[in-house]
Amino acid sequence: MKSQMTKAKLAAFATLLSLSASYAEAAGVLTIGRNEDSTTFDPIKSAQNVDNWVFSNVFDVLVRVDRTGTKLEPGLAESWTISDDGLTYTFKLRDAKFSDGSPVTASDAAFSLTRIRDDKGSLWSDSFKIIDTATAADDKTLVVKLKGKSVPFISMMALPNASVLPKGVVEADPDGFAEKPIGSGAFTVEEWRRGDRVILKKNPGYWDASHVSLDGVEWIVVPDDNTRILNVQAGQLDAAINVPFSRVSELQKNADLTVRMDPSTREDHMLINHEHGALAKKEVRQALDMAIDKKAIVDAATFGIGEIANSYIPKGALYHYADNLQRPYDPEKAKEMLKAAGAEGLTLNYLVNAGKETDEQIAVLVQQQLAKAGVTANLQKVDPSQSWNMLIDGDYDISVMYWTNDILDPDQKTTFTLGHDTNMNYMTRYKNDHVKDLVAAARLETDPAKREAMYVELQKIAKDDVNWIDLYYSPYINVMRKNVTNFYQNPLGRFFLEDTVKN
Amino acid sequence: MHRYRFILTRPLQFLPVIFGVSIITFVLVRLIPGDPARVLLGARATPTAIANVRAQFGLDEPIWMQYFYFLQNLLKGEMGKSITYKIDVLPLIATRIEPTLALVFSAVLLSVLIAVPLAALAARNHGRPVDHLVRVVSTFGIGFPPFWVALMLILLLAVAFPVLPVSGYGSTLGDKLVHLILPSLTIALSLSTVLMRSLRAAIVEWLKSDVATAARARGMPESIVFWRHVLPNAVAPTINLLAVNIGWLIGGTVVVESVFALPGMGQLLVRAIFSRDYMVVQGVAMVFACATVLVNFLADIATVAADPRVKL
Repeated sequence: MKSQMTKAKLAAFATLLSLSASYAEAAGVLTIGRNEDSTTFDPIKSAQNVDNWVFSNVFDVLVRVDRTGTKLEPGLAESWTISDDGLTYTFKLRDAKFSDGSPVTASDAAFSLTRIRDDKGSLWSDSFKIIDTATAADDKTLVVKLKGKSVPFISMMALPNASVLPKGVVEADPDGFAEKPIGSGAFTVEEWRRGDRVILKKNPGYWDASHVSLDGVEWIVVPDDNTRILNVQAGQLDAAINVPFSRVSELQKNADLTVRMDPSTREDHMLINHEHGALAKKEVRQALDMAIDKKAIVDAATFGIGEIANSYIPKGALYHYADNLQRPYDPEKAKEMLKAAGAEGLTLNYLVNAGKETDEQIAVLVQQQLAKAGVTANLQKVDPSQSWNMLIDGDYDISVMYWTNDILDPDQKTTFTLGHDTNMNYMTRYKNDHVKDLVAAARLETDPAKREAMYVELQKIAKDDVNWIDLYYSPYINVMRKNVTNFYQNPLGRFFLEDTVKN
Repeated sequence: MHRYRFILTRPLQFLPVIFGVSIITFVLVRLIPGDPARVLLGARATPTAIANVRAQFGLDEPIWMQYFYFLQNLLKGEMGKSITYKIDVLPLIATRIEPTLALVFSAVLLSVLIAVPLAALAARNHGRPVDHLVRVVSTFGIGFPPFWVALMLILLLAVAFPVLPVSGYGSTLGDKLVHLILPSLTIALSLSTVLMRSLRAAIVEWLKSDVATAARARGMPESIVFWRHVLPNAVAPTINLLAVNIGWLIGGTVVVESVFALPGMGQLLVRAIFSRDYMVVQGVAMVFACATVLVNFLADIATVAADPRVKL
C-alpha cells in the first residue's frame, strides 16, 4: 500500500515536471499583436509592410540593412564586388541551408532575381527591370549584369521581396509555396491560421542559429488598437505594434510595460497640386509653408512625439541634410506674400483621409491655421482608397500623406517625389527640369561624397520650390512586457527577432 | 402534413433572390470609388504595374463581361481569386465561416437564455415594480453601442478580474467556447432586449386570452397555464422577429469580431471593402445572403410548427 502511494506520488511529480518543462519551452515563444494578417508568403506578390515584416523572419536576402538603417551588411552574400563600369555585381554566398535541409546555391539566388523581374504575378517587375541577367558562375557565386549603371541597385537587394527562395520548391508548386513557404531565415512557418495568426518556429538550420534566443514567434491579428494594447496589459500578449500616439504617455507609466519608440523613415507631408491655379506659383506655395504651424501639429496630433520635418529625406536616413531651411511660422507674412502673388482670398480643396484619427486632427488644425493667413480650406473627407484615386487623378488642391522608405538608398523616394517619373512626382505635378536631371545624375554617381552633395542640393531646391510641405517625422511605437528585451525595428521597419529575448 | 408543403416549394423562390443579390453586390462594390490594383500596389505603383494587376484579375474587361465570368465561375462552384490574398475566394471564406457561425449561434442562444426568463418575469408581474425595473434595465441594453460594451466587458472580466481572455479565438473546442463568452455576451446584451420586449408584450396578451382563461377555468395551476398554453403561443412572433434581425445580427458581428479579434467573415469583409477586393466582397455578401434566406426559411418552419393555425 505504502509503496503504491509513493509510486503514485512519483508519477504525479514526474507529470508536473514534464508539464513545467513544456511551459518553459512555450516561454520562449514571443507573441506579437498586429493590426492585420499576412496576405501571402510569396514575397514577390506583396507590397505591404504586414507581409514584409514576416518575410524578413522567414526568408533571407543577399544583403541586409543594419540595425541603424544607414549601412548595408552581409546577408546570404558574405561579400560582393562591383565592376568598374558599375554594370556587373558578383556576390559570394555563404554556406547556408533552406529549412528543408537543401543548400542555398547561387542558382537559387539567380532564379529569385529573375523571377521577381519576369513573373506575371510580381508586383515588383518595374523596379527590377534594370537587371539584364542573373546567373550562377558556380554553386556559391552569383553574377548579376545590369542593363545600365545604377548605384541604388545594391540597396534593392535588401528588399524582403527580393529574398532568395529555393528554386526547385517554388517551381514545383508556387501556390503551395505562398501558403507554406520554405526559406533560409531565422524562423520557419509552422502554421498559418488565416485571419488569426502566423506561427513561426526557430529554424535550427539557420546559418546564424546560435544567436537566436526565441523558440518561436506568433504574429497574432488584433485589429482594434484598444484590444491589442489591453492584451499586453493583461499579459496575454508579449508585445503589440502600432501603438497610437495618444496612448504612449499612459503606457509609459505602467511598470509592467516598456514602450519603445524606434526611429523610422516615416515622413508626413502635405501634397500640393502644382497644376491648380495659384498653386503653380512658387511664392504661393512658400506662403502656405509659412502659414502652417508644424510645432502645433506635432504637439496636438502626435502628442509631442513626432519631430518637425525640414527635408523630404527623413532624419536618420542616408544623406539627410540637417541644416535644410525651416521656414518660420508667420501667418502675417504669409498673408502679405499671397497678396503680392495675387492670390488673396485663396480657397483650397483639402482632401482628408477619413477614419485616420491623426489625419483628421491635422486637417482641423491646418484649416484654422490657413484661415489666419486668409486662406479658406474646404475639408473633403473620403475613404483612403478613394482619396488615393483622387490624388492620382489630380482631383485635389492639398492633402496630407506619408511615406516610409523601403530601401536604404535615397534614390527610391527621390525618384518617386522629384524624378518626374510616371507618377507625376508623387501626384504633385511638380515640374523642374534641373531637378529632374539632378535626380538622374545622382543615381549614377559612384563617389559617395559627390553623391551626398547632389542630394543636399536636391533637398535645398525641393525646399525652395516647395514641391510639398514637410510636416513631421515620427517613430515606430511598440509596447511590450518588461521581460521582453531587444524587440526593435530598424528605420526601414525590419524586426530583428533573431536578437529578441524573452526572459 | 399539407401545411408543410412550402418546405418543398419555397426553395425555388430563393434562386431569384440570390441572383438579385449577386447582381446588386457585383455592381455596388464596383460603384465605390477606388481601384483594387492601386490599393494593392500602394504608393510605389507605376501605371504599367497597375495595368498588369488589372489584367491579371480581369478588371480591364467591360463590367458586363466581368459579371458573365463571375456567373460562369459560380456555376463551376468558384467565386474567383482574391486580389489581396491571391487565392480562391471560396476556400478563403471557408476558413472564416466557423468563428462567425459560432458567434451568431452562441449570441442567439445567450439572448434567448436572457430574454425568456426576464420576459416571463416581467409579464407575470405586469405593471408591478419588477416589470418596470426589467424594462428600464433593458433600455440600457439598446442604448450602449456594442464596441463600448465590448471594451467595458474586456476591462471588467479580462483585465480587472482576469477570468476570461481579452480576445482571440483559440484552437480547441473548450478554448473556443471560453473565447466566445465575451463576444456573444456583447451581442446578447442588445439582442436579448429586443427579444425580451416583444416576448413580454406577447405573453401579457396571451395571459389575458381566452385560452388562458379557459385553462384556468378547468382548474389548471397557473404554472401549467403559462408553460403549456401561454408561452408556446407567445413565442411565434418572437421567432419571426429573431429571423428578421438576423441580417442586423450578422452586421453586428463585423464590429464585435473586430474588437475581439475573431477571425471571422465580418473582419474579412471589412478588410476586403477597404482594399476593394471585389471578389471577396461578392463572396462574403453571397454567403451572408444565403444565410439570411436560410434562417428566414427555418424560422417559417418553426412558426408553422409552433402554431397549428399558421399556413404558408
